[in-house]
Amino acid sequence: MACSLGFGSLVYADRPDFNDKEAPQTLGDFREIQNALQSHLERTRSATVCLEMGGGSGSAVIISKDGLVLTAAHVTSKVDEEIKVIMEDGREFTGRSLGLNSETDSAMLQIEDAGPFPFVEVDLKDTTKLGDWVFSLGHSGGFDKARGVNVRVGRLVREAETTVQSDCMLIGGDSGGPLFNMEGELIAIHSRVGASREESMHVPIREFQSHWDELKSGKFIGEGGFAQKSKPGTGFLGVATEESEEGGLKVTELWKDGVAEKIGLKVGDRIVEIAGEKATKQLMASKLAELGAGDKLTLKWISGKESKEETVKLGERP
Amino acid sequence: MRIITFIFALSLPLAGNSLPSEKRKNGPLIQDALSPVQVSLQESSAVFYNNETSKAFLYGTVVTDDGLIMTKASEIEDVESYYVRVGTKKFRDPIVVARNDVWDVMMIKIEAEGLKPVDFSQAKDLTHGTWVVSNGATERRFRRPRAGIISANKREIPGGSPAVLGVGLKEKDGDLFIDNVTEDSGAALAGLKKGDKLLKVDGSEIMDRDDLIIHLKEKSPGDKIKLILKRGSEELSLEVELMARHKLYGKGETRNDQLSGGEAQQSARRTGFPMVLQHETMLNRNTVGGPVFTLDNQFVGMNIAAVNRVEAFAIPGQELSELLAELRKAP
Repeated sequence: MACSLGFGSLVYADRPDFNDKEAPQTLGDFREIQNALQSHLERTRSATVCLEMGGGSGSAVIISKDGLVLTAAHVTSKVDEEIKVIMEDGREFTGRSLGLNSETDSAMLQIEDAGPFPFVEVDLKDTTKLGDWVFSLGHSGGFDKARGVNVRVGRLVREAETTVQSDCMLIGGDSGGPLFNMEGELIAIHSRVGASREESMHVPIREFQSHWDELKSGKFIGEGGFAQKSKPGTGFLGVATEESEEGGLKVTELWKDGVAEKIGLKVGDRIVEIAGEKATKQLMASKLAELGAGDKLTLKWISGKESKEETVKLGERP
Repeated sequence: MRIITFIFALSLPLAGNSLPSEKRKNGPLIQDALSPVQVSLQESSAVFYNNETSKAFLYGTVVTDDGLIMTKASEIEDVESYYVRVGTKKFRDPIVVARNDVWDVMMIKIEAEGLKPVDFSQAKDLTHGTWVVSNGATERRFRRPRAGIISANKREIPGGSPAVLGVGLKEKDGDLFIDNVTEDSGAALAGLKKGDKLLKVDGSEIMDRDDLIIHLKEKSPGDKIKLILKRGSEELSLEVELMARHKLYGKGETRNDQLSGGEAQQSARRTGFPMVLQHETMLNRNTVGGPVFTLDNQFVGMNIAAVNRVEAFAIPGQELSELLAELRKAP
């Protein structure tokens, strides 16, 4: 499968024997599973992060030295949004959500601080099979420095194209966290749970691969239930304007505590550009009809002799 | 902080291949492979049965050959009468000999000899990912093993004193006042009211909130404390019976509690332990109290709480051994 991953060469260890047994038969088989799992814990734990945004908390995993992160769409829930990234040791970084697939629950994020970051290898060749032993990491229930990352073990018990199921138990806060094979490679991202504790659903890496470039370029894919696009026409700038003889739009009124007031627009200022185009009454109307609450819009205006530019997040139409 | 919870997928959109249930992590094939460890569970676990329903409701850990058993206090204290099974043998008329509310442990004695207690000298620290084996469900004659791994750092679980008054406090101008009184608490029954100014507890002066909190730390649910307080211009002396924190405040279910099966699955008392090992063996409130072993039959500790869908707590062997010594010294 072609995909533009910018990280180093991948080393494939031999497939462990215990994966080809129906089930462990001796305690020796259990010990082999334990040894394999433990040999990967230091690296995988250090790359498993907690995400915090808008009062919510989920998990994610770093897959490149420069801080590319995979997570679930229902965790980031929006594209181009600032998100706090917390490492197991408590260090905090600033991330920004890239694209997401609202139909299959995959999402990407980029840490904006300078690396290098600890990262994990990815099972790009899709070598993991039904029945293979796997382990799950996550910041269950939110970040807890004393507890650290939560580790769980299980088997891959069901497989479909865009979802795999394991019997590694998951809980709220694990959303977006990583599932690994016993070679320490990332195979899937935690997505949802069944009614039984032994039913956990994950998005396989092949699903990320099939939309890799779109996710990386910040696209909001599909109209599924894992994330909702803002509704067109619900965005609100909080400003009234009229066409100015000097060109652009003259501000005649500002809503108290509205978005426009907050970025410092004043009555009498002249908006000259909207989203990079020459400002007209018609352009303003069509932009606001197309965008929703939470969407971004770049404005350029003249205030006195100063020229200013800001990207604002639209408020909710009252 | 709101936790981003999972979406319940009730019918799975998975038409794909599936692994038969007997091969899964908690399936019978795995249970069979654990039979060398099952021997230890069989010998050193006690099973508590409710006399009324004849149902097993809790495990215990055999700690002496002459029948001392440690178990989880808050799960057994309200059961009117029960009997015990160790191995295949049934023991009637168990006696409560001691309890410790900080650890939520009850020590119970049965008339027995020649039992095989857990060996405390073997307990050691285990790293993440190490397999441990606990009791799953039980049959009358056979303890079923269930495996999990050590899943997080060994640590203290904060949770406040086990015994509570049932009031909220407010400090103002260097004085301590009652800010609210919880319904049905000991404080409510004793007649404490919002606005009362606290002066003394059991004879010592209360300067600030910490004085009262430190005093309560030493107390057990059921203990009584004497408060001197000022209401208006009147000075009052009231006796208040303390209640178990988990009984007064334990009901507030979070979304993660609901995901974990709520009261039916989770231990009611699941916070406030001085030290625990965390593992991910699938337990519920009725399968705690028993011993935890390594694959080498080394005793690791005693399961003390089924916390949620992914977490179980055990009192480490070292701490349990110290607690046993303390409880045996008690009058």
